[in-house]
Amino acid sequence: MRRIGIAAVVVLLLSVGVLFAAAEREAVPFPQERGIRMAVPYGAGGGVDISARILASVAPEFVGQRIDIVAMPGAGGQEAINFVLQQPKDGYTLLITDYGPLVTTALTEQVNYELEDWVPIFQITEVQPIFFVRADSPIETVEDWITMAKEEPGRFAVGHGRHLSVPHLPLILFEQEAGIENTHIPTTGGAEALAFILGGQTDIGASVPSTIAGAVASGDVRALAVASPARSQVLPNVPTLQELGYDVMLPAWYTIFAHKDVPVDRMKYLEEKFMEGMLSASAKAMADRTRVELTLYGMEETAVFYQNTVESLKSLLEFIGE
Amino acid sequence: MELELAELLSYALREAFTPGVLMYSALGVLIGITVGAIPGLSGDIAIAILLPIVFALSPTRALGMLIGIYKGSMFGGSISAISFGVPGTAAAAATVEDGYKAKQKGEPKRALLTALYSSVTGDVISSLFLIFLALPMARLALRFGPVEFFALYVFSLMIIALLTRGNAFKGLIAAVIGLIFGAVGMDPVAGSTRLTFGISQLRGGLPLVPVLVGMFAISELVIQFKKEIDKLAAEKRRDMGESAESFEAYDPGKDRMSFKIYLSTLKATLIGSSMGTFIGALPGAGSSLAGFVSYGIARRFSKHSRQFGEGSLEGVAAPEAGNSATCGSSLVPLFAFGIPGSATAALIGAALIMQGINPGPRMMVENAPIMYTFFITLMYASIMNLGFSRGLIPIYAKLSMIKGKYLIPVVFILAILGTYASRNSVMDVWVLLIMGMIGYLLRKNGYPMGPLVLAFIIGPGAERALRQALLLGRGNPLHLLSSPIAIGFYVAAVLFIVLVSLTFKEKG
Repeated sequence: MRRIGIAAVVVLLLSVGVLFAAAEREAVPFPQERGIRMAVPYGAGGGVDISARILASVAPEFVGQRIDIVAMPGAGGQEAINFVLQQPKDGYTLLITDYGPLVTTALTEQVNYELEDWVPIFQITEVQPIFFVRADSPIETVEDWITMAKEEPGRFAVGHGRHLSVPHLPLILFEQEAGIENTHIPTTGGAEALAFILGGQTDIGASVPSTIAGAVASGDVRALAVASPARSQVLPNVPTLQELGYDVMLPAWYTIFAHKDVPVDRMKYLEEKFMEGMLSASAKAMADRTRVELTLYGMEETAVFYQNTVESLKSLLEFIGE
Repeated sequence: MELELAELLSYALREAFTPGVLMYSALGVLIGITVGAIPGLSGDIAIAILLPIVFALSPTRALGMLIGIYKGSMFGGSISAISFGVPGTAAAAATVEDGYKAKQKGEPKRALLTALYSSVTGDVISSLFLIFLALPMARLALRFGPVEFFALYVFSLMIIALLTRGNAFKGLIAAVIGLIFGAVGMDPVAGSTRLTFGISQLRGGLPLVPVLVGMFAISELVIQFKKEIDKLAAEKRRDMGESAESFEAYDPGKDRMSFKIYLSTLKATLIGSSMGTFIGALPGAGSSLAGFVSYGIARRFSKHSRQFGEGSLEGVAAPEAGNSATCGSSLVPLFAFGIPGSATAALIGAALIMQGINPGPRMMVENAPIMYTFFITLMYASIMNLGFSRGLIPIYAKLSMIKGKYLIPVVFILAILGTYASRNSVMDVWVLLIMGMIGYLLRKNGYPMGPLVLAFIIGPGAERALRQALLLGRGNPLHLLSSPIAIGFYVAAVLFIVLVSLTFKEKG
């Protein structure tokens, strides 16, 4: 009797197993199977994270699946990248990042991937590196900065965020272009760069518009120029360096990447749905509130941007000997 | 103008006391106390997880919830510090020293309530500062550049080093180990990695929370575990066990809090409150530093400084008032200039941005109704914290007296889960376990944890400040003495050395 019981259980289990296997084979259309995870190489609350959350908020409606943002700041962001590398290449795990952790780190250190392993599928926004001074500074314009710095090389201290960060690289590029020298002061980020300007410890700061917008509005800080092809929507009165005659453009995209082994039709599906979602009124409203300037691009354009960034970083890093 | 203010206030009062705002603030406080009490988790991780919800809530509700979490977690961290010798948050690291000793003496409730009352006192003082003196305080805080910060760090290290109990040499060794741990990872100026031994996961440096929880919690658990095994071996012989370790022998009747006790710790509380308010307003200095400095100074100026380290309630009150007093004041630079003063303040700043409110000086003008409501919420969140915690403490005090064999696995699992959850990192769990073993070995050999942990916390900041200052001085070391504030700190540090050595002469 007991034997029959056991046999019955075994048969039951087997048939359940077969049923599941059958269900597995009867492929669920792409994003229906489970939630999409998007790894962020920074802590929660930063610029990349907030941009990703705008997309996540419209995802259920437009992508047909929820997007979970996973903040993995460990090992300077490499943990997020490695996490995506380790997951199945099925499009359910994506990476959103600026070029810092993905490209700069890969060009200066040993990492577990090749730059060609990544395919950019969607750009949400672009941040412009911006240079600024305290309102009472004798430096009124970029010309003043150059003239005075040429009189006395190294006289100005520039706080610029971390070494080789998004505001630091354009600073180096600008110095190259203008033929000037400054004293570089690494800071923990834009907040400290701003604090040093307000406190008078440094002469010039380098950061991104959203960090200094409040201080500019209150009249404590004056912005000199942005290092990008277009002006910032947040601070539209600030000229680009290009307008002033200096070919310094190094904006930082916040872009969603998939591993190159993810099936192309899935990437295309995501690209299309992300675009629809981000063009919706609710995404726009949220972007306005959070001061994220939407610059939406699909696979074709982002591939070019990615390639260009890699090229210019390569030559820049070579130049400074990193 | 006055009429306008009256209108604003009446609006804010009505808004702050709507059921929605009250409910979310209360929820925030409860969440805060809970995550604070879990080793490895702290208020910022709860806020980070809840950020998506912030999108959906009205600004006043969202802010109420966030500030509730911030305040609740500052006190919550002391619960596990006192109960299990495990700081629930980095901020509570300084509370372990005397809080845990007090519990071992059979006074968990007294210690917990002292921590609570001091926390709330420090918090209220700091919140009042934020509301009434944000701008002048921020002006002072901005005068802290690299030169001043470096002097502050030197001063802090000096206080702690001088007050290490026992073998000063071992204290020094411990501090050096802390500095080395802190130096792992990326060089703050050149950007090259160092001391990572080729382990790429370490390029971001040793993570703060796993190191702290490992050093304090895991090592303590190992010690307790060993005791349990010894106990099991001798179980038949001595049934009673150590009185402080067993639930049955704990006498709640003797462990009562009184207003007199609160008054006796008031001096320490006020020292903590002022140090915390001051340090909190400096961007980047941090609540754990506030806890340690408050502890050190309160000990120096206490009439019973000999009792510090032996379960002194003043030694609980000072760091707890100190870390909680950073809550309000760390928002000062955020409100005044849009510069977040701490990780939690940065997240609150992000939440404000998500609500379409730009942190900075114009915030008060542009969003006056919301800000006034927020200020009222800020005050009653303290009272909620007091009420909830008051209700929870008897339970926690009893919990802390549960036998080790039940408690150790639970705390161990919580520590591992909390550590993993805070950054989604398996590497952090390894760091936690390895630091636990290192901590165990060091403690077994009489090396104090305090100097090690403080050096680890402030080492990277001190190095960065020093190198920034030298860069600003174009390599001239005299630049370090170019600020009156910095000179003040160095003079104070020297005075401290003199004072302490005189005290030792008298008593020794």
